[in-house]
Amino acid sequence: MTGAVPLQQGMLPDTIANLLGLDAFGIAGDVVAALLGAFLIANFLLINTAFAGPWAKRKITAAFTDRIAVNRIGPFGLFVIVADAVRLLSKELIVPEGADRPAWDLGPLLIPFSALLGFAVIPMGSGLQLADPETGLAFAFAASSIASLGLIMMGYASNNKYSLLGGLRAVASNIAYEIPLIVTGVSVVLFTGTLQMSEIVAAQEATFVSIAGIAIPQWFAFVNPFAFALFVVANVAEVGRNPFDIPEAPTEIVAGYQTEYSSVYFVLIYLGEFIHIFLGGAIAATLFLGGPAGPGPAALGIVWFTAKIWAFFLLTQWLRSAVPRLRVDQFIEIGWKGMLVLSFANLVLTAVIVGVLTTL
Amino acid sequence: MSLEEPEPDAPATVEEQSADELAELLGDHVIGREEHLNAPGYVVRPDEVQAVLSTLKEDAGYDHLSCVTAQEYEDRYESIYHLKKYDDPTQEVSVVVPADRENPVSQSGEAVFRTADWHEREAYDLVGIEYDDHPDLRRILLPETWQGHPLAEDYEQDRPQVVPLREHANPLQEDHRSEQDTDTMYLNIGPHHPATHGVLHLKTVLDGEQVADVESDIGYLHRCEEQICQNGTYRHQIMPYPDRWDYISAGLLNEWAYARAAEDMADIDVPEYAQVIRTMGAELCRIAAHMLAVGTFALDVYGDFTAIFMYAIRDREKAQNILEDLTGQRLMFNYFRLGGVVWDLPEPREEFFEKTRDFLEDLPEALEEYHDLISSNEILQMRTIDTGVLPPEVAKSYGATGPVARGSGVDYDLRRDDPYGYYDELDWDVVTEDGCDNYSRLLVRLREVEESAKIIEQCIDLLEDWPEEDRTIQANVPRTLKPDDDTEIYRAVEGAKGELGIYMRSDGTDKPARFKIRSPCFSNLQTLPEMAEGEYVPDLIAALGSLDIVLGEVDR
Amino acid sequence: MSSDNRPFVTDDSQVLTDTRDARMTGEDNRFNSKLREAFGSSPFILTKFDKFMNWVRGSSMFMLQFGIACCSIEMMHTYAVKHDLDRFGAGVPRASPRQADVIIVPGTIVSKFAPRMKRVYDQMPEPKFVIGMGSCTISGGPFQEGYNVIKGAEEVIPVDIHVPGCPPRPEALVYGVAKLQERIANGESSPVTVKPYELEQFGDLSRDEIVQQLADDIDEEDLVMRYNWADSP
Repeated sequence: MTGAVPLQQGMLPDTIANLLGLDAFGIAGDVVAALLGAFLIANFLLINTAFAGPWAKRKITAAFTDRIAVNRIGPFGLFVIVADAVRLLSKELIVPEGADRPAWDLGPLLIPFSALLGFAVIPMGSGLQLADPETGLAFAFAASSIASLGLIMMGYASNNKYSLLGGLRAVASNIAYEIPLIVTGVSVVLFTGTLQMSEIVAAQEATFVSIAGIAIPQWFAFVNPFAFALFVVANVAEVGRNPFDIPEAPTEIVAGYQTEYSSVYFVLIYLGEFIHIFLGGAIAATLFLGGPAGPGPAALGIVWFTAKIWAFFLLTQWLRSAVPRLRVDQFIEIGWKGMLVLSFANLVLTAVIVGVLTTL
Repeated sequence: MSLEEPEPDAPATVEEQSADELAELLGDHVIGREEHLNAPGYVVRPDEVQAVLSTLKEDAGYDHLSCVTAQEYEDRYESIYHLKKYDDPTQEVSVVVPADRENPVSQSGEAVFRTADWHEREAYDLVGIEYDDHPDLRRILLPETWQGHPLAEDYEQDRPQVVPLREHANPLQEDHRSEQDTDTMYLNIGPHHPATHGVLHLKTVLDGEQVADVESDIGYLHRCEEQICQNGTYRHQIMPYPDRWDYISAGLLNEWAYARAAEDMADIDVPEYAQVIRTMGAELCRIAAHMLAVGTFALDVYGDFTAIFMYAIRDREKAQNILEDLTGQRLMFNYFRLGGVVWDLPEPREEFFEKTRDFLEDLPEALEEYHDLISSNEILQMRTIDTGVLPPEVAKSYGATGPVARGSGVDYDLRRDDPYGYYDELDWDVVTEDGCDNYSRLLVRLREVEESAKIIEQCIDLLEDWPEEDRTIQANVPRTLKPDDDTEIYRAVEGAKGELGIYMRSDGTDKPARFKIRSPCFSNLQTLPEMAEGEYVPDLIAALGSLDIVLGEVDR
Repeated sequence: MSSDNRPFVTDDSQVLTDTRDARMTGEDNRFNSKLREAFGSSPFILTKFDKFMNWVRGSSMFMLQFGIACCSIEMMHTYAVKHDLDRFGAGVPRASPRQADVIIVPGTIVSKFAPRMKRVYDQMPEPKFVIGMGSCTISGGPFQEGYNVIKGAEEVIPVDIHVPGCPPRPEALVYGVAKLQERIANGESSPVTVKPYELEQFGDLSRDEIVQQLADDIDEEDLVMRYNWADSP
């Protein structure tokens, strides 16, 4: 085992390797186990996205608007997932004239890729975690930020003015809201003293207060609700949902950066967007909601984790139905003049409190 | 209008000039007099249009050019400028400008009234009169390459319009990158775009996200409504078409425009009972139309088929159900007849009244919901207050009417100022807002729904207690109407979007010789560059949404 | 209108047979899909697969957010609260034609708009379907007499389903969409039309008389577009 990094104990690849007896094969076995683990996690997310995209989104929006939505195709209209996916994949892939070819093709690939990459370090409970590096949080933020690159590639390479506007808006919004997002995340790190995701989750297990015998855990959402609110807002902007869906803005710039994409690429973009929403939810859950923590045995962790990321998805859909969209300049202004200032104030305040607490 | 409390700016405060006084004021400019049913007409020389219009505007207070009608006679072309006063629209005057048969040129009125710009372009497009000094005399409704002027006498409709493809090259295909100015970007918004409410084409020049220049290109829904009305008989064949001008359920309001003009022309009295039914139906239409306006405005600002749009449609469905009970159709009612309405209220009447009352009772709650969701939403206020500003003077110069003008503080509502139907017997108020911005126009619409509900409620009370023996729904109208030769009339009603006027000239037959529609949206849309230039793209979209245009009415 | 002066191919069995023979004997395999090659000549899987694809296309469709005239108001009502077209899996309006399957043509088409509508239709990816909504898309409807009005959507783009009415009630449009889905699911609607740039690929096929006549009509020196669409072929 010279030079090889041994699989981290308790991580998903390690478990798989143990189960399948891959330990015996050295590095090759580790690689296979890691790939299998990644495959499992990716599929778990794709299944979630399949439910969210063609079906849950419609049903949720319908519930907000007094409608029923899909109910003819299969039970509760669930077969529409199959129909939508296969239909979109079987459509003609139109490549517009003048498209900047490698960039045009790479853009849609980057988006789901970056979101899935972010999930590599997320502890999903029940032992589902691919890796737990010491810089886990930084990795998650970095991975999800790669998407901006994909967005601007798509916007620029489509040879369409609406796409260009959408791509530029997407980049402007990502830059403006990434900083508050990360700075707010850092305020949690001040508490935990580590960037390692499992440690952040572990730090939230202690009891915060106990009211009438019910122990409220030390989730950072309870410890610092202000930071949680900031983080959720910045997160909604980061995934580009109402009221911050400036990059897509159907009534203004048709469909923004995805205007020219059809068929498979459209599916990839769509997948990427939804996995991004889930990734946003996952980071928020890990930092502020105790990750996979919840009542019941620890084996239920994945259930609680799924519930938390779906709660964030529900929030985005709720906002989409009820909140108007900001104008692009107001959006940037709120990002730079409001969110940034507030997030730094939060950081300083947290630092002071943590400093006082530790000196006491 | 309340009978108890007279309006502060009642017509009496506006100085009124008699026809002779005006003739004296115009002096030598006048080379002849005409008598239109609605107003005195002064014939002026084609090269003195600007002088006459500006005298009338500055010295006599005729500040509203509501319409420009162009037509062709056997021996001459003629443009008629229908002038009114914003303070008292019953004071009207027509400026008749004949032009030479061989070389139809007359002076443009654009320098005096900005709204003349589009009206004269339309006259050039359809009839073929050329206007001197016009800043931009191009075709407006028909494609640039169209051959001939379709409303001119010698136009052959059956001759195919054969245009080589190279002359009609797709303007979208060329790259609009200019060498000199690389800071701006040309962007086509429409004719197929989610926010253009149909098939409007906005040629915009963007500087970053800001709109440097915007020009609306219309005509993508020019359905030859005027020609079709000229081919129909007064009595029955014209009435179905008004429904299709402003097709957002405002059908009865449009029908009333034609009914009013034709009834005044043929001197038909409408029974009071029918007038009450008309008033009620028209206001139901107004509610439905404003609901859609609010819903689509929210759609433009919110960006998706969201809750507020769906709620607006839900309430529209209720109004449409009532209208369907009344007229038999959901959208294209064809309910009015000259001299009344086609049939009485649906039986059993109690059920109809109850249904309508239920709708009215639920309405305040629904409006409360709208106010919660839209008008009191901080983000929406951020988006709409002080954007798309249209100062009242500019609005007047462009001939803006309806909620657009009232949102700019111009107190102009034909239902009160030029009463027709049963409006002057009822108690209601004209809604105005002084904000001049997108938000004011939204508020005006929401509050007008309340006023319409008040009117409907009073109408229902009246209809319920109406004596049984007096329920005449139609006056006695001859089977064929043939108004006297060369009778001319311009009459307007308050449509859902503003002043909807009809000009008709009879030639002694049972079909009008010229049928001209003055569409409120046509004038309102002209104000878009004023509102949008210098603003951001989202504000351009919001301004367009707040104008609430219907392309069927813009293009006719 | 012109069935008597245009030579129609009365016997198309020959054309069909030629193509089929060419495909089966393997001398022209352009019609053979990769799947067909993969599965060999066994018809069972392909039939089932076709059926599945038809079901897929008939069960779920994205609509193009496309409004023209009066009918678009009723179309909005069809999408919205009471009628809720999404129950049939057909209620997702997409603003970009690249992502739409079905275009509902809701209203009168005039000379200025026809080329633009054609363009929007061309921008949609195959397989695509067209629902003509209202009398105007059938014949020009009440505006047929107008100098500027195109006498039906079919002058410009192929229409799969006509929904008559002026305007059709939302229920009628729902019925039209359901009928279209039924036709697609039964394989009655052609899933793919050959595009102009693909014609080159099939250039050496024997031309039938209609194609020949249409090709002769085109003056390649100066292509002519007519506004009077009534006389167009």
